[in-house]
Amino acid sequence: MLKLLARYREPLLVGVLLAWPLIGYLTRGHRGREPNVLDRAVLWLSTPVQAGLKRGIDGVGDSLRGYVALRGAHEEAAECRSALSVSQAELNALKEMEAENLRLKAMLDYTTASVDQEIVARVVGLNPSAQFLSIRIDRGEDHGVRSGMPVVTPEGVVGQVVRAVGNSADVMLLTDPSSHVAGVLQRTRVRATLSGTGGGRRLAVELVRRDQDVKEGDLVVTAGTDGIFPRGVRLGTVRSAERPSTGMFLKGTLDPAVDLSRVEEVLVIPVGMGLPEASLRGVPR
Amino acid sequence: MRFFGLAALALLLLSVESVLVQVFGFEVTRIDVGLALVVFAALRLRVTEGALSAFAVGYLLDVITGKPTGLYPALAVLAFLLVRAAALLLDGRGRVAYLAFTGVATVVHALLALLLTWLTSRDGIGHVVSLSGVPLQVVLTVLAGAVLWPLLRRFEVAERPTQGGLL
Repeated sequence: MLKLLARYREPLLVGVLLAWPLIGYLTRGHRGREPNVLDRAVLWLSTPVQAGLKRGIDGVGDSLRGYVALRGAHEEAAECRSALSVSQAELNALKEMEAENLRLKAMLDYTTASVDQEIVARVVGLNPSAQFLSIRIDRGEDHGVRSGMPVVTPEGVVGQVVRAVGNSADVMLLTDPSSHVAGVLQRTRVRATLSGTGGGRRLAVELVRRDQDVKEGDLVVTAGTDGIFPRGVRLGTVRSAERPSTGMFLKGTLDPAVDLSRVEEVLVIPVGMGLPEASLRGVPR
Repeated sequence: MRFFGLAALALLLLSVESVLVQVFGFEVTRIDVGLALVVFAALRLRVTEGALSAFAVGYLLDVITGKPTGLYPALAVLAFLLVRAAALLLDGRGRVAYLAFTGVATVVHALLALLLTWLTSRDGIGHVVSLSGVPLQVVLTVLAGAVLWPLLRRFEVAERPTQGGLL
C-alpha cells in the first residue's frame, strides 16, 4: 500500500490539491467562509502593502495636481468665496428647517434611534477578481467595522461590508450581481429592487410594475426596508425604463450615484445607526 | 524554497494589482498576475512544487477577493494541469511561448470561473458581463508576464524537468 502511495505520490498530491477546494466550492457554493487564522494572516500582511502603495500613488498624484491647480488659484478662490456665501445662506436655511423639524418631532413624540459615529475609511484596493466586485478599505474589526454594515459616501450608497478582519474590511459593491437593495423613487414613491448587473457601471431596476410612473432621470433613494441600508440615501438615477410588450414588470437600468470605480473614501455606518442588530443576522457573508 | 518564494511574490503582486486596477479605474478588467505565476510553475517547475505553488497562488487570490470559496485554488491547479498538458504538445520553454500560454490561460481561466460561478450561484448569469473585461485583461496579463519573466527565471530549476508526461 505504502509502495503504491509512494509510486503515485505526485498524481495523488495534484488530485487532492484539485479536488479539495473544488468539492468545497461545489458544496458551499458562492457563500464563502469565515476568515480563519491563515486568511487573517494573509490579509494582515497584504493590507499595509496596499495602503502604502495607495498612499504613495496618491501622494505623487496630489503633488502633480497641486502644481497644476496653482495656475488658476486666484480665479478659483474668488469663485469659491462667492460659492461659500451662497452655501452659508443655504446652511442657515437648513438650520432653520432642522430646528423646525425637531420641534415638529417633539410635538409628535417621535423618538429616533441612537446615532453612532460613522467610521471614515480609505479605499486601498479593488478585489483582484472580476467574479466578485468588491473593494478593500483600511478599517476593520479593530475600528468597529463588522460584516453587514452599510457603506456610503456623501454622494450615495457604495455597498455593504461582507468581511471584516483586524485592520481591513471588504465591501461588496452595489454593482456585484449578488447585491440587491430596496429602493424608492423620490418623485413618485414607487418601490423597486436595485440589483447589480456585474458590469461595474449599471444597476438593474427590478420588480416595478409596468404601469408605474417611472421616467428617465428619476432619482432613486434607499427605501430602508431591507434592514441593511438607512432610509433616504441616494442610489442613483434611472437611465432607462422600457416596457416590454409582455410581462408584468418594466425593464429598467440605473446609473449609480457614486462612481464606484473611482471611490476613494467611504463612510461605514455602524449597526447602531437605526439598524437593529437582528436585521443583520441574515446578511449573506 | 521556491514554493515559499513564489507564494510571497504572489501575495505582493496581488496586493499591487488590487491597488493598480483601482488607480486605473477599471470596472471588470483585472490583471491576472497570479495566473502568470501559475503558468510559469506549470512550465518550469517540478510537479510537486509547481502544483503546490499553483495551489498557494489560487488560495491567496481566493482570500484577497473578499469572499473565499475555494474556486480559485481549484482553478489554479486546473490551469496548472492544462498548461502542463499543453506543454507536452507545444514547446513552452522560451519567453514568447510562456507569454502565449499566459494569454490563452487567462481566457480559459475566465471562462471556467464564469462557468463554475454560473453553476453554483443564483445570480451566476449576472457574471457574464464580467467577460467584457477579458480582452484587455489578456493584454495586461501578457504584459505583466513579460515584465515578470526575468524575475521568474530566478525561480527556475537548475536542470529542466524531464518531459516524461503530464505528472
